[in-house]
Amino acid sequence: MVFETRDEADSALYEKKIDLSQTTCPNREQRANGINIFYGKASDLIGKARSGCLQNHERGFAQSSGCSLNFYLSVRVGTIRDAATIFHAPVGCSSSALGYRELFRGVPVELGRPAEYDLHWMTTNLREKDVVYGAGDKLKKAIYEAQRRYDPKAIFILTSCTTGIIGEDIEGAVADVQPHIDARIVPIHCEGVRSRLVQTGYDAFWHAVLKYLVKKPEKKQTDLVNVASMLSYTWQDRLEIQRLLGKVGLRANLIPEFATVEQFQQLSEAAVTAPLCPTYTDYLSRGLEQEYGVLYFMYPPPMGITNTDEWLRQIGKHTGKSDEVEELIEEEHRVWQPKMQAIRSEFDRIAAEKGSKVSVLGSLGQGRLLAQMPFFDELGLTAPAAMSQDYDNLILEELEEVVSRVGDFDLLVNTFQAAEQSHITTNLDPDLTLTCPFQGGAYKRIKGATRIHALRGDPHPWSAQSGYTGAVAYGNFLLQALKSRSFQKTLKEKTKDSYRDWWFKQGNPLYYMKTEL
Amino acid sequence: MTKIRSVAIYGKGGIGKSTTTSNLSAALADMGKRVIQIGCDPKSDSTNNLRGGRSIPTVLDAIRSGKKVEVEDIVYEGFGGVLCIEAGGPEPGVGCAGRGIIAAIELLRQKKVFEGYRPDVVLYDVLGDVVCGGFSVPIREGVAEQVYTVTSADFMAVYAANNLFKGIQKYANSGGALFSGIIANSVALPVQREIIDDFASRTGTTIAEYIPRSDTITRSELLGQTAVEYDPDSEQANVYRSLARTLLQNEKKYVPKPLEAGELKEWAESWSDRLLAEKNDMRSGPGPRNVASTST
Repeated sequence: MVFETRDEADSALYEKKIDLSQTTCPNREQRANGINIFYGKASDLIGKARSGCLQNHERGFAQSSGCSLNFYLSVRVGTIRDAATIFHAPVGCSSSALGYRELFRGVPVELGRPAEYDLHWMTTNLREKDVVYGAGDKLKKAIYEAQRRYDPKAIFILTSCTTGIIGEDIEGAVADVQPHIDARIVPIHCEGVRSRLVQTGYDAFWHAVLKYLVKKPEKKQTDLVNVASMLSYTWQDRLEIQRLLGKVGLRANLIPEFATVEQFQQLSEAAVTAPLCPTYTDYLSRGLEQEYGVLYFMYPPPMGITNTDEWLRQIGKHTGKSDEVEELIEEEHRVWQPKMQAIRSEFDRIAAEKGSKVSVLGSLGQGRLLAQMPFFDELGLTAPAAMSQDYDNLILEELEEVVSRVGDFDLLVNTFQAAEQSHITTNLDPDLTLTCPFQGGAYKRIKGATRIHALRGDPHPWSAQSGYTGAVAYGNFLLQALKSRSFQKTLKEKTKDSYRDWWFKQGNPLYYMKTEL
Repeated sequence: MTKIRSVAIYGKGGIGKSTTTSNLSAALADMGKRVIQIGCDPKSDSTNNLRGGRSIPTVLDAIRSGKKVEVEDIVYEGFGGVLCIEAGGPEPGVGCAGRGIIAAIELLRQKKVFEGYRPDVVLYDVLGDVVCGGFSVPIREGVAEQVYTVTSADFMAVYAANNLFKGIQKYANSGGALFSGIIANSVALPVQREIIDDFASRTGTTIAEYIPRSDTITRSELLGQTAVEYDPDSEQANVYRSLARTLLQNEKKYVPKPLEAGELKEWAESWSDRLLAEKNDMRSGPGPRNVASTST
């Protein structure tokens, strides 16, 4: 296909416009040609994506994956302060929301976690009868009950595969009930069967936020910076972002966890939407610009020194604080650069001893793929390969930029399937391997192994990754993980291997991929 | 751009929905209108007679391929430039055809098919009885605005129409489509017309057109054509043209009053009694047999 303009070529890659007249977003497969299975050079992936030849495939065997409801929404929407959440689903769909009150308790109140933080969620507990006869009335009852129990400012409705399959008329129920209650009802279409890519859940959430919650701006708040953060940003990351922005007189509008409904309403009044993860923030950023003219940038996230500098500069540009930001960067560098340098020297020393750079293999979401490859480079590490949860064209340009910055590398896109990760780790044999919490980390090795990131409920300073303190904390964390091997040793000694040798002799980690026509 | 007229046509399986819809499409195209016809039935043969009897790849086939779906993969041109789309669905006996309709219609909306082609009329040809949530999607808010049902005097077809009325009633308060008329199909005898008229008056509905039973249809469909294409000057083609004009001008939109199960049964029995009596009267001369079910 020949395109007349750059714009035309881009719109063939992904859907740019956000259409709020629709009840929900397209799935990522349709919106940006998302895939979750690929193995090859990053440059090959880029070439295929550019030419429109990138194709998703079926797996003959799969061990782990998430759904758009549970990978993302259920554990987070419930934390929104003055709101209530209704799972319009069989009771099991809300099970992962159960543990989070306990997990968030780990964050001390002194660090800013609200002392009272009951998670307000309910489920319609759909059963055979509801599936057969429809459950519209049950949903309406639940909405009235949520209003009565919690008197919230907003009521989020999370849909499920079940409601999707039986074709529940969610919008009809909302239209019927809304005039009679005070809370704003926000239906989110996150039926798991709609998509193989959990990112569809992000988009579905932002679509509903943009459509139902965000208000027309009453005034512009020129010091307000929208920051939407993923679950993998820890509590310390949150504090670091507030610290940095606070130093130049800016306020971070941190959503969605522990945010108030008002914070969502005023998203339209902010000066800029800044990314922590481009693939996560994309839909919101585009929507806010399109509907309310809130400027945004997608890259880079504040991870590593260079990326943080650039992240702050972009924010400075959009808020008229460029001079203050330059001063801040200089001041921060004086404190943190020596510490960073010390870590780098240590990695360099180890490299000199073993005669080659320390190699690292990480399980990365799309955002981390873009943010951490340059960070590894900054630390003097080499990353000959990376594993990515999934891929879509929204990050194509940024991925191209990363490849031009750090060079080409092998890329395994695989929703963190444990056996495939074990395969590539064994065969590449990196000095350090980084696995994703909850997913795909079920393998043993003697060399360095640790987690790629902690989760929001972890308040420990060493779990930070954002900004300058995060760059140093994470650098240190990686260094410690490389040096300390007692855990791996014990595990290897005391337990049997999970896979037979046969598996590691197969040429390709995607052995079970079906290459259908 | 004038407003698109979005119309859903429902009816019992085998009653002549696809025949009616594709003849209507052909007649509208003949009148210079830009038409999109969307088959919402897993059989996916709604548009065959607009394309020489050949079937087209369906929306769900395209989704299943795993590739990013382009509009060209799912929209095919048929007789008179009618744009043909088939939602498609699973093989009989497996999966969930209703979910298929939901997924297909969602994709069409998100692909901006209607904005792109700017049709004058969109016709949804939908399987039967509104049996589940999926098959009611075309009558929900933002899809079709007007609904017609094709029915014969066959009681089973009338039951299906009555079910449709219930579906419309259900969604009417939340911005769903409203009813615009009954298309009485395969009307061969006066009594069949009477039956349908009576049903319409009981349910507070109107008749959009009476379509006689005709050999022209049988012959045209053997060639994979509509009557409008096969024999444009035939009486049958003119009937569809008349229906097409009605459809373009019909601004009637209302909530029908479906009969309750008991009422419907009583009504049907009253007609059987009458038909039996008439049959006995006609013993002496030649007459129709079992008139109520001449229309499958």
